[in-house]
Amino acid sequence: MGDILTAGLLRQMLRSATPVALAAMGGAMTEHAGVMNIGMDGMILIGAFAAVAVSAVTGSAWLGVLAAIAAGILVGMFFALFVVKFKSDEFIIGTALNIFAGGLTVFLLGAIFGVRGTLRTQAGLPAVEIPVLRDIPFVGEVLSGNSLFVYLTVLLAWGMWALVYRTPWGYHLRAAGEHPGALRTAGISPEGRQWQASILCGALCGLAGAQLALGNVSMFSEGMSNSRGYVAFACVIFGAANPGKAYLAALMFGFFDALGYRLQEYQISANLTSMIPYLITVAMMVYVVLRGERRRAAGRA
Amino acid sequence: MEAIVEFSHITMDFPGVRANDDVSLSIRRGEIFALVGENGAGKSTLMNILYGIHTPTAGSVTIHGKPVVRFDPKAAIAAGVGMVHQHFMLVPSFTVTENIVLSREPRKGIFCDRREARRQVEALSREYGLEVEPDSRVRDLSVGQQQRVEILKTLYRGAEILILDEPTAVLTPQETNELFTVLRRVVRERGMTVILITHKLYEVAAVSQRVGVMRRGRLVGVADTASVSQRQLAGMMVGREMQPTAPRQPLRLGEEKVHIQNLCVANSRGLPAVRDLSLTLRAGEILGIAAVEGNGQSELLEAIAGMRPFQGEIQVNGRSIRGLSPGQVRSLGLAHVPEDRLRTGVDPEASVAENLVAGRHRAPRFARFGVHLRKKAIREYAEGLYRAFDIRGAGADTEAGSLSGGNMQKTVIAREMSAGAEVLLIAQPTRGVDIGAVEFIHSQILAQRDGGAAILLSSADLDEILTLSDRIITLYEGRVTGEYTGEFSKTELGLGMTGGGKEATHEA
Amino acid sequence: MKRRNLGSYFLSLGLSILLALGVGAAIMAVTGYHPWEAYRALFQGATGCGELGDLPSLLTQRQFGNTVEYAMVLFLTGLACALGARAGIFNVGGEGQLYLGAIVSAYIGVVLAGLSPWVVIPAAALGAMAVGAFYAWIPGVLKVKCKVNEVITTIMLNSVAIFFCAYLSNGPWKTANPNRVSGTDPLEAVYRFPQLIRGSNLTSAIFASAVIALLVWYVMSRTTTGFEMKLTGHNPRFARFLGLNVDNIVIAAMSVSGAICGLVGMFQVYGVKGHYQDGISNEYYFDGLLVAMIMGYRPVGIIVMSFFFAFLKVGAAGMELNAGVPGELYRIIQSVVIFFLAAEGGVKALLARKKTKKEAANHG
Repeated sequence: MGDILTAGLLRQMLRSATPVALAAMGGAMTEHAGVMNIGMDGMILIGAFAAVAVSAVTGSAWLGVLAAIAAGILVGMFFALFVVKFKSDEFIIGTALNIFAGGLTVFLLGAIFGVRGTLRTQAGLPAVEIPVLRDIPFVGEVLSGNSLFVYLTVLLAWGMWALVYRTPWGYHLRAAGEHPGALRTAGISPEGRQWQASILCGALCGLAGAQLALGNVSMFSEGMSNSRGYVAFACVIFGAANPGKAYLAALMFGFFDALGYRLQEYQISANLTSMIPYLITVAMMVYVVLRGERRRAAGRA
Repeated sequence: MEAIVEFSHITMDFPGVRANDDVSLSIRRGEIFALVGENGAGKSTLMNILYGIHTPTAGSVTIHGKPVVRFDPKAAIAAGVGMVHQHFMLVPSFTVTENIVLSREPRKGIFCDRREARRQVEALSREYGLEVEPDSRVRDLSVGQQQRVEILKTLYRGAEILILDEPTAVLTPQETNELFTVLRRVVRERGMTVILITHKLYEVAAVSQRVGVMRRGRLVGVADTASVSQRQLAGMMVGREMQPTAPRQPLRLGEEKVHIQNLCVANSRGLPAVRDLSLTLRAGEILGIAAVEGNGQSELLEAIAGMRPFQGEIQVNGRSIRGLSPGQVRSLGLAHVPEDRLRTGVDPEASVAENLVAGRHRAPRFARFGVHLRKKAIREYAEGLYRAFDIRGAGADTEAGSLSGGNMQKTVIAREMSAGAEVLLIAQPTRGVDIGAVEFIHSQILAQRDGGAAILLSSADLDEILTLSDRIITLYEGRVTGEYTGEFSKTELGLGMTGGGKEATHEA
Repeated sequence: MKRRNLGSYFLSLGLSILLALGVGAAIMAVTGYHPWEAYRALFQGATGCGELGDLPSLLTQRQFGNTVEYAMVLFLTGLACALGARAGIFNVGGEGQLYLGAIVSAYIGVVLAGLSPWVVIPAAALGAMAVGAFYAWIPGVLKVKCKVNEVITTIMLNSVAIFFCAYLSNGPWKTANPNRVSGTDPLEAVYRFPQLIRGSNLTSAIFASAVIALLVWYVMSRTTTGFEMKLTGHNPRFARFLGLNVDNIVIAAMSVSGAICGLVGMFQVYGVKGHYQDGISNEYYFDGLLVAMIMGYRPVGIIVMSFFFAFLKVGAAGMELNAGVPGELYRIIQSVVIFFLAAEGGVKALLARKKTKKEAANHG
C-alpha cells in the first residue's frame, strides 16, 4: 500500500476539508465571543439548500453563493436573537436549529421543486486552473484545477486569523468571550460583539454549504451536511478557536475522509472507512483535553 | 483646597437594601483619600457611582465642578476617572500591552499598531515608575503585577482621579509597599488624586492625608489622618462601644469536638489562606471568628467540612478527616451552613421540602428501604420545619429559588440544624436576611449551643459575632491574632481584625 | 408539586404549539398548499378516520396502530434523553445506541435460531441493552473524567455506529438470501412480537414499553436515586456538598439512557421489521429528544406529548400521500415549538431585567 498517498488523495483532502474549514472559521468567531455554537450543522444545510435552489432557478452559481451567504446571515441573526438577546440555552437552540434546518430544507425541496431527496443544478462553481503550477507534476495535480473556494479558504484562513488577532475588532471579540467585564468597563458592549460573531458565523456556514453543494457536487441532497457542522465545532475546539489552526484541523479531517475513499480501492468496505473521520474527531476532542491537562501539570511544576 | 470630586446627598437603594444614605463628601485635588468601613458599609457602592456603574437614587456628583449628567463608565473615563476594581478587569490571555490599550488601540489602517501600542505602554511605564513587561501574558503575572497593569490602564485612558477598591487585599506586604510608593509618586509628581478603599487601618496611616469612615451606608466622619489614632478609627468603624448580648444559659463546656493543629489551607488561586492555625472547639460553646473578608475564614470552614485539601491535622469527634469526602465528614456528626448559600447550599430548582431533606433522604423515615421516597412523611416533616423555622413563602412545595434570600437562608439553616449534628459550622448566617429573621436565626443558633452542639461561627457582621459567641478569635491573613473572652472592647477586636493588635490575648 | 409553575407552563406550551401549527400553516400557504386541507389529511393519516364521527372504528385502524407504535418510540427515546438530562448530561447519541441495539439483537436472533423464544427474546433484549449502555458509557466517562463535551462525542459516535452497522449488515452479518442487498437474516416467526392491530406496526412491545415507562417515571420521580439525579443535574456543587458521588450518578444515568435506546432498536427489529436493515431508524431518537426538550424532561409530560407528536408524525406521512404536502412539515412544527417556548422564556427574562432596573431607578 505504499502508493496510497496519491495526488488524488490530496485533492480529495482539499475538497473534503474546505466546507468544514469555512464553517470552523465561523465557529471560531462565536467561540471567541463566548457563544457555544452547536447549530452550525443546520446553518450549513440551509446554506447548501439556498445555494442549489437559487442556482437551479437562475442558472447562476454565483447568485447561488450569494443566496447561501444571505441565508446564513439570516440564520445567524436568528441564532443570536435567542442566544444573545434572550439568553436561551445554547444547546437547546443549536439542536433545535439543526433539526429545523433538516425539516425545512426537505420540506422546501418537495414544496418548491416537487422532488424528494435530491435536487440537481446545472450550475457549479468553476474549477480554477493555475498557470505554471498546473504543469508541475504531482503538485499541479493536487493544487491546480480546484474549485475557487478551495483557494479562497486558504486566504480566508489567513484573513480571519489577522482579523481576530491583529485588529481592534478582534481584540474586542476575544475580550467579549474571555472577560466581558473588562470590555464593558472599557465602554464597549460584549453583546454587540456576540451578535456580530453570530452573523459572521452564519455567513461563513452559508458559504460552507455553498461550497459543499456547488463546489463539490452540484446538487443538494437531504441531510447533506452529514454532521459536518459538529466536525467543524470539534475543529474549533481542537484549534483553540484560532482560525488558522482550525483550518489545519479541517485539513486533518479532510485527509482522513479522503483516506477513507482511497482505502475503498483496496477492497475495504466503504462503511468501515467512512467511520474513520468521525473516530478521528472524537480522538481530537480527547486529545485536546489531555493536552490541556499536560500543560497545566507542566505549569504547576 | 480645591475640590475635584463632590458628592452631595447621595442615596443609593438596591432592592431591599439602602447601600448609601445621604452621603456628602468632597475629595480634594492632589490628595490620597482613604475610605474605610466594614464589609457592606457602602464604600464600593459610592465609588461605583463615581465610576458611572450605578446611577444614584438621589443626590448628585460633580467632577471638576461639572455635574455628572449621565452615569456611564464611558462618560466617567472621559471625565478623567479611573477605577481599579477589586476583581481585576483584565483579559487573562492578552498581553500587558493589549490589556492596557483595550478599546483605545492605536491603529494603522484597519490593524492595531502593535509597535506603537508597545511604545506607548513602555513610555507610560517609565514615566510613572510602574515596571511591567509589555509582552507578558496577564495570566502569567503575579497579582501585584496585574494590579500595576490595571493602574497603567487607567493612566493610559488619561485618568486624573484614581479609585482603588481594596487594592492590598490580595497583595503581599512587599507589593503593598511598592504600591504605596507608586501612589505617593503619582500624587506628588503628576498631581493625581487617589481614593483608596480599605479595611486595614495601618494602611490609612501609612499613605493617606485624609480619611472618611463609613458605617451602614452613612458617612460617619471625615478627618485628617494625622489627627486620629487607629483606635479612634476602629471605634468609628464598628460603632458604639457596646456589647449587645442575647439572653443565654451559662456556658456548660463539654468534651472536645474539633481539634485543629498547625493547619495550612490554600485558597482557590493556590495561595496560602490559612497559615499554621491551631484551635479547639468544645461541645456547648460558640466560637466566633471575627475577621475581615478574605482573611482565611472561608477556607478554614471549607477545610473542616472536607471540601478543601489541607496540610496539618483536623479531627472531628476524635477522628482525623484527612482524605474523607464531604459526605464522610458529615457522617461523623458535622453539619455546615455554607457561606455561599445559592451556589453551595440549595438546589434552587427543587422544592423547599426537597431542600429540607436533601442529604438525609435515604434515612428510613424518608425512604422505604432507602429507595422509595415517602412523599407524605417528607412533606409532613418539611412542613414541620417550615413552620418551626418560620420560613415565609408560598409553601413547602414551591421552588426554593422563588424564596427571598432570607427565607432561603432559613431553609439551609433549618436543614443543617435539624440534622442532630454535634458540630456545626455556620458561615454568614444572616447575610442578606431581614431584621426580623435575624433574631430568629440567632435564637436557633443559641438553642443548638444550649443543646450541647459545638459551633464554629464566622460572620462579616461583627455585632453578630459579639452577640452570639462565648469565645472569639480574630483572624488576620490566615493567622489567629487574638483570643477574647469575658470583658473586652470592640476597639480591641477591631485592632485584631485589622492587624493592629497582633499578639494581643485578652482575658478577663 | 409546584402547581402554579406547571399551570403557566402548560399555558405557554399550548400557546407555542398553536403558534407552531400556525407557522406550519403559513409556510404551507406561502408554498402554495391549502393549510386546512393539509391538516385534515394529517388528521386522517394519523387516525384512519375520515371524519371525527368515525371514532368507533378507530381501534381497528392500521394508522391508529402506527400512531400508538410511534408514540412508544417517542416516549422511550424521550425518557432516555430525560434520564441523562436530569443528571446533567445530554445524550445526543441515542440514534447510534438504537442502531447497535437493533443489529445486536437481530444477530442474536439469527445465531440462537432454533432455541425457545423464552431464551432468545430475553437474550436479545439483554444484548441490545448491554451494547446500548456500553455505547453511552463511553461519552459518559469521557465527560466526567476528561471533561470532553458530550454533545460532540455522541453525535460523532452516532455516525460511527450507523456506518459500523451498515458494514455488518452488508458484510459479515449479511443475509444469505441473494435477493436482498443488505440486512441480517430474517428472524424466525416465533420470535416476532405479535401484532395487536393487523397490518400496523403496533405489537406487544407496547406492553414492555409501558412497563419501562412506568419504571423510568417511578425511578425519576419517586425514588432516592431519581432525587439524587435531580440534585446532581441542577447543582452539582450542592450535590457534592451533600456528599453524593456526582461522577457515578452521571455515568450511570447515561448508561441507562443508552440501554433504553438499545432496547428501542430491538423493538424495531422484533416488532416492526423482523430483521435488521439499514436506515432502521429515521432519526427516531432526535424526534424523542425534541419531545423531551419541549416537556422540560418531565416523564409524565413526555409520555403524554409523545402521543401528540406521534399523531403529527404519522399523520404527516398520510398528509404527504393524500394532500401532497411533504411530511417534513412535522419536524418544522416540532422545532418551532421549541423556538416559541425559548422566545417566551427569553422575553420574560428580558422584561424582568428591565423591571428590576426601572425599580432600582424609581426607588426613593
